[in-house]
Amino acid sequence: MKAPTIVRTLAALCALSLGAVSAAGEPAQPQASAVPIGESIYRFGALPGGEPLRGERASGVPVEGASAACVNCHRRSGLGAAEGRGFIPPITGQFLFHPRVSSRDDSDLPYVDGARINRDPFTEETLARAIRQGIGAEGKPLSVLMPHYALDDAEMAALVDYLKHLTKTQVPGVSDSVLQFATIITPDADPVKAKAMLSVLDDYFDEKNAAARAVSPRLRSYHKMMFRATRKWRLHVWKLTGPANTWEAQLQEHLAAEPVFAVLSGIGGKNWAPVHHFCEQAELPCLFPNVDLPVVAENDFYALYFSRGVLLEAGLIAHQLQEQPHWSAVRRLVQVYRADDIGAAAATTLAGESHRSGLEIVRRVLRAEAGSGLSSALKDIGPGDDLVLWLRPKDLAALGNHPVKADGVWMSGLMGALEHAPLPSAWRSGTHMAYPFDLPDKRRIRVDYPLGWFRIRKVPVLDLQVQADTYLACGLLSETLNHMVDTFVRDYLIERIESMLEHRIITGYYPRLTLAPGQRFASKGGYMVHFAEPTGAKLMAEGDWTVP
Amino acid sequence: MVRGFSVSVWLLASTAPFVGVATADATRDAASAMPQDGVTITTVNYTIPPVHLVRETGQSVLLTQELDDGRPVIMNFIFTTCETTCPLSSQTFAQFQSRLGPEDRRVHMVSISIDPEHDTPQRLRAYANKFHAGPQWQHYTGTLRDSLAAQQAFGAYRGDKMGHTPLTLLRAAPGEPWTRIEGFVTPDQLLHHYRRLLAAR
Repeated sequence: MKAPTIVRTLAALCALSLGAVSAAGEPAQPQASAVPIGESIYRFGALPGGEPLRGERASGVPVEGASAACVNCHRRSGLGAAEGRGFIPPITGQFLFHPRVSSRDDSDLPYVDGARINRDPFTEETLARAIRQGIGAEGKPLSVLMPHYALDDAEMAALVDYLKHLTKTQVPGVSDSVLQFATIITPDADPVKAKAMLSVLDDYFDEKNAAARAVSPRLRSYHKMMFRATRKWRLHVWKLTGPANTWEAQLQEHLAAEPVFAVLSGIGGKNWAPVHHFCEQAELPCLFPNVDLPVVAENDFYALYFSRGVLLEAGLIAHQLQEQPHWSAVRRLVQVYRADDIGAAAATTLAGESHRSGLEIVRRVLRAEAGSGLSSALKDIGPGDDLVLWLRPKDLAALGNHPVKADGVWMSGLMGALEHAPLPSAWRSGTHMAYPFDLPDKRRIRVDYPLGWFRIRKVPVLDLQVQADTYLACGLLSETLNHMVDTFVRDYLIERIESMLEHRIITGYYPRLTLAPGQRFASKGGYMVHFAEPTGAKLMAEGDWTVP
Repeated sequence: MVRGFSVSVWLLASTAPFVGVATADATRDAASAMPQDGVTITTVNYTIPPVHLVRETGQSVLLTQELDDGRPVIMNFIFTTCETTCPLSSQTFAQFQSRLGPEDRRVHMVSISIDPEHDTPQRLRAYANKFHAGPQWQHYTGTLRDSLAAQQAFGAYRGDKMGHTPLTLLRAAPGEPWTRIEGFVTPDQLLHHYRRLLAAR
């Protein structure tokens, strides 16, 4: 059946009812301008005409609207989830209507935790009964988590039609023998970091493929299932060129020419937004790129990041500034950054979070070329001022050996090269550095894993943080794919990473990684540090791990 | 942390076909019903850990003082981005609250985040508003360490937030044992146990 469509206003309403406002307070992109009824019920809990979906659980607790939407439990893929000590079952047509089989060996169903295959298949009638009355295919009550929904026949038909077509297992970039991935490099990325990232990806793929067998046979028994999951990995490097407003079109061309299952890692410079939006539009997972200014839109689905980067640093500085005993006496907060760099966005975030009456927030924007204008920007800084440096190493090195007499000096660790920041010695002990990673001493064992691997594989260490993050991204993908066995579905990949990430112990530069539906930044906090000695890379933490 | 255990154990099976606790492995091929559909009730003594938590208002408080303020306590563990178990648990609290009516001022309802790094006071406020939490119902976050200590002290820690199971704890007054309800308790069952605990004093 051809699903009728709902007008634009309903889609906008759905977006609102989902609370589609990003953490940064910016409205999220509205949903597709016209959403078929079945999808609207499933994903947004919205009925035709904008009425909310209503249901009631067996315990007498009502649910309504977005909270009642099927997607909350059964997920966007429809493949369900592990939850507590039980499972939310898959509810795609493939699983619902599959004839009874006594063992997985007799079925062509992909492997999904919690799939119940040894039961009568649903019919359209028993499925409608399950949705309206919470009664399963064999006449037994479903879990108390499953609401009983009030749907009329047309709405039910639309929903069942949606389930029938939900999650095609045949996705681009997946064949019986090869999984295709891409990595994306923007033209403004640091070339050394880009090379560092690629060296890890190339070697990781080589190692992966050395272990993989040539062609995976069809599944015949359970023990062959893991075997079947061993496909070769192929990497496509999508190197963008020219101005940022052409990148999305370039990416579309790349994807059409080289269909991939997901984007792995990647590296950006000042502007990652076009890549983020492309992945969201193309419904393409974009896993843990190396970017210091990600897009904050936690209701977007496909882009996962290690952290909020310089925006997290801004939060850390704002938090620490306000903890200072002299905070109430600070008259001016002066932020210095280059015109075309990511410090501008960080400065905006910091200004928003440091607002207080009587505080003047000043921006000193230097022209784009490094080396110019720095000394005049700092000339009038003195007591009563706090100074924030959103500067790259070249500018830091040019600060000179006469530090300003500000009440406090703060800097971005990410932009300034972390513990390798070339801060002149006279500035080192008095400058607070935002450090959105675990401390070097505390992460040593976790970083020994990639370091050992780089040594064995003879991968030159060009930028340890970028390479450790890239290696971590590869490891997370590999581990998640192992658990997905042969269920190669893009949405499911994201869902599995969301739920599995917290189990990961070897988390490189980060003390802990967690995600969830609506969480897109895996590491949430950081430290404030300063250099412990006039030279060298030793850092001193100024407090505990802080989540701003 | 658990001093005494299992004064009484019984099962409520009025609405559920599947009662008791099963491991993930045992449910692997028969899991269309969640195994927690039954409710298990035990009576347990807990030692409240001396941790500071942060209310949704941003105020830092001692957990011991929050729980020992003299009022009966009803407590659960939630996180704001949870889309399955926690919303049901919070909706049950909301229904419990409205069934109590004006009597709700006598009780202290406590919801502690098990994802404190994400659940800022601001996010907790939004979550509390979604469930129309009254002034007697507070939501708490804090450092990861303190949240973990609270979860572990009440036997609520399941390794990670995705592994959490529905749990409600009730206590009539400071110093008394806790009633531990595992599984999806209904608002009516909750009200029943609450009233019985108070009547027994």
